[in-house]
Amino acid sequence: MKTLSRRLFLTGSTTLLAAPAILRGTRAYARTPVLKVGHVSPRTGPLAGFAEADEHILAGLAERFAGGVENNGRGWQIQIISKDSQSNPNRASEVTSELILSDEVDIIVAASTPDTVNPVSDQAEINDVPCITTDCPWQPYFFGRGGNPAEGFRNTFHFFWGLEDVIGAFLSMWDAAGVTKTVGGLFPNDADGNAWGHPELGLPTPLAAAGYTLTDPGRYQPLSDDFSNYINAFKAAGCEIVTGNMIPPDFGTFWAQAAQQGFHPKIVTIGKALLFPSVIQGLGERGPGLSSEVWWSPDHPFASSLTGVTAGELAGGFTAATGRPWTQPIGFKHALFEVVADVVARAADLDDPDAILAAIRGTDLNTIVGPVNWATGPVPNVTKTPLVAGQWQRDGDGIDLKIVANATAPQIPLTGALQLL
Amino acid sequence: MNALHVTRQTRLSLTTLILLMPALVLLTAAPWWAGRADLRLMGEIALYMSLATLWNLLAGYAGLVSVGQQAYVGLGAYVFFALTLLAGVHPLAALPLLMLVGAGMSATAAVLLFRLRGAYFAIGSWVLAEVFRLTFAQVSALGGGSGISLPPAVVRALSDDRWMREAMAWWLALGAAALVIGVVVLFLRSRNGVALTAIRDNELAARSLGIDVWRTKFTVYVAVGALTTLIGALIFLQKLRISPDAAFSVNDWTAFVIFIVVIGGLGTIEGPIIGTLVFFALRQTLADLGTIYLIALGLVAIAVMLWAPRGLWGLVRDRWGLEIFPLSRRVAGLNEKGH
Repeated sequence: MKTLSRRLFLTGSTTLLAAPAILRGTRAYARTPVLKVGHVSPRTGPLAGFAEADEHILAGLAERFAGGVENNGRGWQIQIISKDSQSNPNRASEVTSELILSDEVDIIVAASTPDTVNPVSDQAEINDVPCITTDCPWQPYFFGRGGNPAEGFRNTFHFFWGLEDVIGAFLSMWDAAGVTKTVGGLFPNDADGNAWGHPELGLPTPLAAAGYTLTDPGRYQPLSDDFSNYINAFKAAGCEIVTGNMIPPDFGTFWAQAAQQGFHPKIVTIGKALLFPSVIQGLGERGPGLSSEVWWSPDHPFASSLTGVTAGELAGGFTAATGRPWTQPIGFKHALFEVVADVVARAADLDDPDAILAAIRGTDLNTIVGPVNWATGPVPNVTKTPLVAGQWQRDGDGIDLKIVANATAPQIPLTGALQLL
Repeated sequence: MNALHVTRQTRLSLTTLILLMPALVLLTAAPWWAGRADLRLMGEIALYMSLATLWNLLAGYAGLVSVGQQAYVGLGAYVFFALTLLAGVHPLAALPLLMLVGAGMSATAAVLLFRLRGAYFAIGSWVLAEVFRLTFAQVSALGGGSGISLPPAVVRALSDDRWMREAMAWWLALGAAALVIGVVVLFLRSRNGVALTAIRDNELAARSLGIDVWRTKFTVYVAVGALTTLIGALIFLQKLRISPDAAFSVNDWTAFVIFIVVIGGLGTIEGPIIGTLVFFALRQTLADLGTIYLIALGLVAIAVMLWAPRGLWGLVRDRWGLEIFPLSRRVAGLNEKGH
């Protein structure tokens, strides 16, 4: 057997010692550099409905991203690392720090309700990682995190609509209906409920300005089992409209008790609870006729900047692949990654977080949910997408969410007329 | 030396004690050798280990099976946020203050809860935690039901430098775990500890021996309450954001802790430590699987209860009579024939 010669040993060990010096390099010199995007979303738990389309959307994007995204003449691989928040703000904060510290992601994205976007954004802010979020009204996001409109945040950005849009959309629907202007308000003691019911920033002031009388008996604790006090107060005030922001189980309880106690409002427009077709079907005969805010639908006249598909094609693709009806978060989940791809394409230097932040600030993109441009937001770090109002109506054998009021965003076509309950 | 005498020391416990010092030094130096992610994970492990050790002292030694310890985790977190955010106290100065609040609250709660026994005590402690949760949900200065974020300025008060901040968070977590385990070991070695063991084995017999059962349990409950508030504050210093549902989460701060103690071995100091390591090993490998992760945790719990009802450490101790922390007394100086 050949023994190891002294000369070979010396060359070999020197090469081994010297190797790290040449092999290390930086990412920019590797053949295809990889940009890591961390994605936090409530895949399991009570908020799982919001993340229902995650797998379908991510699979579609993986296909699109397979060719890489071009930045400054170089192709970049985009790797998406997705983590489940289990619908728990504690877990959302843990997985975000895992993404930042162990996966060393370059950009964090998150979606769906303040319980997901707020803890994720807080971790990104303190750890100096660029962060883009959506699918949560901007007031609970901005003021819920102690945001100061004069300063804004450094690392965290958000696109969605705000309460002023909800109010505008609801009012345009109610005004046209010709019912008595008495409204009952149902606001829970949670991030959304406190923001919606806030005396100045929420519904009360604008409703009064528009000539509506609001009966607001106070905040109820989420997962209440008795709404008799509220129903009695609404009956006493002669409310013909009921509005608020609820989670589906609370609305189910309220709606059943309203029927038992003989309270029959003519319009019921509730935020958050009535977004998903499964919830409406669960209410049986009393489901159709309820109304809700509409942030996205297959009839929105927008198309993806990334793949070119229209809103209708994206929704249709989801239904064809899964056999389930379309839901509103689908469009926003797609748009989130449209913004990421756009930022990746425009950033001056993807190895520099400050350059990525500058690219986010300079975003001006027409996405599948509407224009995203942080220069035009109501407060720093926030930009708004259009919002209209819709009503669940029978459509053949099933039900469909028809857009019945669009005064707030006339570019989105009406698809039905409001029917009183 | 060969004379018959009673000792607590074994060769294993002596070795451990000697190894403990270098191990602590090594862990203290972790910011220099561990990565940021490892440091944070180790901090979380240390805090969960403390929670498990404290719950084990309550349930395993004092027989107080509480399912409401999240009351004190949440209390600590909220008082910490109130002191730093509203009163402008330095984060480090807030820690001893909030332990005083925790001791005061748990002393008051003990007077009420100790009227209940067994399963009634368990439910009562849970009700107490819910009362805390609903109360803090009404405090609008701390965000009410919406929750509130710790502004970066408060976190930066610890240190402006990111490395230093992360190192300090780790030292606080490690210090808290060392404090908790140290206090529990010393307590169990004291007269009170012996009294506690007697109460655990038979409360009536202990009382007839002249042990003040109520006072012993009271001391344990208040000490555990105060230390749990400290751990709660440290946990939420890492999380940066608080809301009533997160701070008073029965799943995160009690169910997982009970799982850890049951897996590791109830009524042993070593049990919660082993249990925490097993729990984190499972979490790090399975948490990305969604619901399957929780099913796996349930299966592990069932398997341990069926085949090792005294936990993993109970299995080791029954088999080899090992004990790392010198607690039980044994006769030394016996030769092979037993003389």
